[in-house]
Amino acid sequence: MSPAVDILIPQMASGDATSNHTRLIQELLEEKGIDVRIVVERKTRSGSGTISIEKWRADGQVSILQHSIGSEVAQQVIRRKIPVVLNYHNITPSSFFDAWQPELAKSVARGRQQLGQLAALTVRGIADSEFNAQELRDLGIGDVVVSPVLWQLSDGAVQAGLSDGEVAEDGGTVLFVGRLVPNKCQHDLIAAFAVLSRFRPRSRLVLVGEASPPQYLQSLKDLARRLDVHGQVVFAGKVSDKNLYQWYQESDVLACASEHEGFGVPLVEAMANGLPVVAYDAAAVAETVGDSGILLRDKRPLTMALALHRVLGDGQLIQCLRDRGIKSAKRFDISVTREQMWIALKDLLDTGA
Amino acid sequence: MLRPDLIDTERISATIEAEAEKQRREDDTFGQFERDIEQTWADITPSGEVDESRGDLLDQTASLAALDPQVPIGSRRGLRGVKWLVRKLTYWYIRFLTDQFNVFSGALIRHLRSLETRLGNLEAATAQPVDQAESTASDCLDDPPEPSPAVASLVADFAGVGPCLVLSGGEGAILKAIGDRGIRARGVEQDPDRVLAGLRSRVDIRSGDATSYLADVGNEGFSTIVLTGFVEKLALTDLLGVIEQAGHKLMKTGRIIVAVADPANRSRVELELGSGLGISPVTWRHLLERAGFDASLEPCSDSRITEIVVAHRSESRPDNSN
Repeated sequence: MSPAVDILIPQMASGDATSNHTRLIQELLEEKGIDVRIVVERKTRSGSGTISIEKWRADGQVSILQHSIGSEVAQQVIRRKIPVVLNYHNITPSSFFDAWQPELAKSVARGRQQLGQLAALTVRGIADSEFNAQELRDLGIGDVVVSPVLWQLSDGAVQAGLSDGEVAEDGGTVLFVGRLVPNKCQHDLIAAFAVLSRFRPRSRLVLVGEASPPQYLQSLKDLARRLDVHGQVVFAGKVSDKNLYQWYQESDVLACASEHEGFGVPLVEAMANGLPVVAYDAAAVAETVGDSGILLRDKRPLTMALALHRVLGDGQLIQCLRDRGIKSAKRFDISVTREQMWIALKDLLDTGA
Repeated sequence: MLRPDLIDTERISATIEAEAEKQRREDDTFGQFERDIEQTWADITPSGEVDESRGDLLDQTASLAALDPQVPIGSRRGLRGVKWLVRKLTYWYIRFLTDQFNVFSGALIRHLRSLETRLGNLEAATAQPVDQAESTASDCLDDPPEPSPAVASLVADFAGVGPCLVLSGGEGAILKAIGDRGIRARGVEQDPDRVLAGLRSRVDIRSGDATSYLADVGNEGFSTIVLTGFVEKLALTDLLGVIEQAGHKLMKTGRIIVAVADPANRSRVELELGSGLGISPVTWRHLLERAGFDASLEPCSDSRITEIVVAHRSESRPDNSN
């Protein structure tokens, strides 16, 4: 007997948000008594229990395609004209990578091209955010629902508790969490921090996340050195869950200058950990953060630095953002988002679309 | 006091943006700084110029394969039919060729990329400068543990009253001990986990390579430079450089304190992995004396670091008790 649902994804990788999301959908559906098979472009060590796209016969009741980059999996769907539920996590515009990683630029451009071709095969679009949903509607997909990415906040987040919220007058730790990639604009954070350090000489900027591409990391370090803040910028790299939540706990504010976020998991994690957020208002950031953070339409260094300086120095504002953030993050609790995902899929499984 | 539920974040954002604009208008210092930052980043950023000749071949072939056979091509029925057939055949033939070519090119490119990556790795592994190769060897040696309270306390006892620099700062034990005596102390540590632990202790610890920091830091007139941790993994030539740099960064009456374990007490594994790295307190004293310091060994009640080296400039040996 064929599984009822096939979930198609380029590859399953540990620590990857889309892979975790896929596993959680699998768990959700299996709990509902539905057989699930994960179909990948190529099998990896993290992808146990998967089958490769070459061996896939498309004989499931529903096929869910996880789409965030150009892939052979999507190409097969297009070539074989298979109707899919398109679970869209957004694709970073290739222009961000042209100068840094031409190969990746091509890959994301291919993803965009495939997205247009997939529109005609999509029976339902599931988008992480309203921002992503609008892109699908613009492509002519009529049936689009918003269901945030599924992920489980580590127990550490809750157990860590809140820091005391006291920030030294001339200090403060500014945190950003996310891969070091050009579209997340960590260079703008370093620029803003260079200004902030003039107001707060003992402040620090902590950048948590894996570097991709490596030369972007090198350029960030070079920028920090040339702006004479290299001693105050911590490149923490990829960290364990435990250390990540320690950074959340030890920091005083989360800053985000990203120009393209389809959702923004770290924003929610920061809010859940009681960390105030100062962010550039772009893409899906505003709908994720809401009124739980300071959203800026201008991210020039002085503007961001003044915003960070204001938040770090205003205990009442910190408390307010903290309270709102913790409350707002509950919208993305796994118990809520699982239910949303189930509602998004339920009728398709009932009717066998 | 404003009620938290009445705080309007949009209004705050607008106020901040307006304030920034006002500052830019009234005083060009920040505006100029922003322009300098922008220029600095532009200098660092790759140009983005892509070799257009690469990758075009596949695109061109794909474009050829996308010929539309349905386009009207003639008015006479027979001729139109023949032309239609020719185009159809051409289309299928080119598509067949394109598919084959794409498969071959894809495989070839994958293998070439793999080869490039492997060559890059090989290059990185074999073509490093000597000092980097040494640091790779030292990576096999575990970082020295955080100094014990006894060591931290003894170092703090000998620290001068002016600003102190602790290299490497570790998790902040020495910084905290010095700070508890009311002395301003700053540390530099490369390991992010240790920096994090230092932050938790609320000490002034910065992220970075201790050797580079010492070379780059301005002449801030440090009264004390504490050398510990990272120096246990440096080769002799690098240690001489550290001593020279530390001498430049000290105030006239400054002092260098060295807290290291004696390499002779290392385990067999540490001895083999750390061969040629680190020197004993006695040798430190000798080197510091050669560099113009009056150095002495002070006993310490710690099982690992049994004595520390305290070195004052020869010309002015101040009272060391604070």
